[in-house]
Amino acid sequence: MGDANSISGRDLVLRFLNKEAVSRMPAFSGMGHVTVTGLDQCGVRFAHVHGDAREMAATAATSHTLYGFDCVVVPYDLGVEAEALGAKLNTYDQAEDLLYPTLREKTVESAADIHVPEDLENAGRIPVVCEAIRLLKDELGDRAAVGTYLLGPFTLAGQIMDLNRLLKMPLREADEVARILTTLSDVIIAIARIYQRAGADYITIREMGTSADILSPRVFRTQVKPHLIRIFQEIELPAILHICGNTNAIVGDMLDCAAAAISIDQKNNLVETRQKVGPEPLILGNIDPYNVLVLGEPDGVRAAVRQSIENGASAVWPGCDIWPTAPADNMRAYAEAIKENGRNGNEQY
Amino acid sequence: MEMSNTNSPNGVAVDTSRREAILEQLKTGVIEYDTDRVVEAANESVELGLDAYEMVMQGLAAGMGVVGEYFDCGDYFVPEVLLCSEALYAGLDILRPHIELDDAKKVKGQVVIGVVQGDVHDIGKNLVKMMFEIAGFTVHDLGYDVPLKDFLEETIRTDSDIVCLSAMMTTTMMGMPKVIEMIKAKNPNVQIMIGGSPVTDELAGKFGADGYAPDATNAVADAIRMVGALREM
Repeated sequence: MGDANSISGRDLVLRFLNKEAVSRMPAFSGMGHVTVTGLDQCGVRFAHVHGDAREMAATAATSHTLYGFDCVVVPYDLGVEAEALGAKLNTYDQAEDLLYPTLREKTVESAADIHVPEDLENAGRIPVVCEAIRLLKDELGDRAAVGTYLLGPFTLAGQIMDLNRLLKMPLREADEVARILTTLSDVIIAIARIYQRAGADYITIREMGTSADILSPRVFRTQVKPHLIRIFQEIELPAILHICGNTNAIVGDMLDCAAAAISIDQKNNLVETRQKVGPEPLILGNIDPYNVLVLGEPDGVRAAVRQSIENGASAVWPGCDIWPTAPADNMRAYAEAIKENGRNGNEQY
Repeated sequence: MEMSNTNSPNGVAVDTSRREAILEQLKTGVIEYDTDRVVEAANESVELGLDAYEMVMQGLAAGMGVVGEYFDCGDYFVPEVLLCSEALYAGLDILRPHIELDDAKKVKGQVVIGVVQGDVHDIGKNLVKMMFEIAGFTVHDLGYDVPLKDFLEETIRTDSDIVCLSAMMTTTMMGMPKVIEMIKAKNPNVQIMIGGSPVTDELAGKFGADGYAPDATNAVADAIRMVGALREM
């Protein structure tokens, strides 16, 4: 059992995800973690960072170097897999404000329209993300855990298909949904292995399109969950299942997917969840990334961290990507509060 | 069974129980997302010369009201609601050409609606649009991922009374105060409503919006009040 000062942030994260005893809670996340302060320090524009491995790695490193997080995470957008499958990314290069990229030209209508490139490793921006992972590994690999993420199959389907069509399908075309999600799950498993070879330490599968704000728990259980179970069986990296939104009704199903941990956001009643699932499962959450980290003050951030731990978070995670305009003081307070208050963070196991 | 007759606009006597059966079919067809049932009932009502406006409001819209309740209490989810609105539109397409409004029910106003730039989630916006169409507004739909200045240009071009802005993500919601400022600077009388999952009543106030709608039905009810207030000015 290591002392917090003697083991690296990377080891803390990996031991924690492996359910080994750790002396303090790791301060990490599995989703976008870059801030405007970090971008400015590197002289990088957000609209440009998504396609440049060096810029991506340099800015991702600031999570650790500026704020002391135990992780660095790439990429920052949700379009890498969809782009590899032929969708076009819009980075809003001309927009005045900082905007996350979105996808256009959604041409997929059915499973038959999904064309998986033979050389997935070199498709779209997958090589960019891999290169960023390698650079981060070289630069900080002995100190910070290198995290990455992919979308879950249903959410990925929503990136390559018209959502109005996809969201009607579970009730009318369940067989077609199964075909689409099978193909996309294969893609997700394959990219996870590519990221693993590049040096990623852990991976988050973000299936945010399937909360009970959108799909019924029954549809999640019967049409999405079987694919998630297969994904977590086949991914070798420590993997986290993240679903934001109203997840109280499906939290048991999320745990059935047998990921190393699950991540939920501020809409989940964590106290209720803990009562329901007991002390054992690793549950990450559930700081409101906008109202607390962007609009809040450092004291409010510290209080929110304490509250999440008190409510039963195994490690404190933001409910989504950290919105880049989060002030540096809040980010520092956030990382510090996790380290201070989470000294016995996972004593329950 | 009570057998009373009402006169339809073309003077044909239709017995009340038949009329009510058709209204019920329109309503339950929407609720149970049975497009065929809605189409059949809508066609029958046209053949019988029933008041198309009444069929829309007390049949289709009443059904959608129940769908909204089902959604709020967790009986229905997005897939169900999308299929219900598909059924509703199938009926609306048949009935709309037959609506003859008297002055009391006349077109209520013009609405510009869209999802702000950076956001490609238009399901909520489409539901609000549908409710406005049912209520008799003329809707100018800008779609999704709409550059902020387009809201201003379309409002001026169409001389609309109301602008509805939607955002599904916290990160894109920040475009809203900019649009509001642009439009209010040109025409302070335009009423601006905002909605979408990250939006709250409090934020609407902070952004300078005139209204916040937690759901499609409330959006339209608020809009009708807003236009009413505008016309009295």
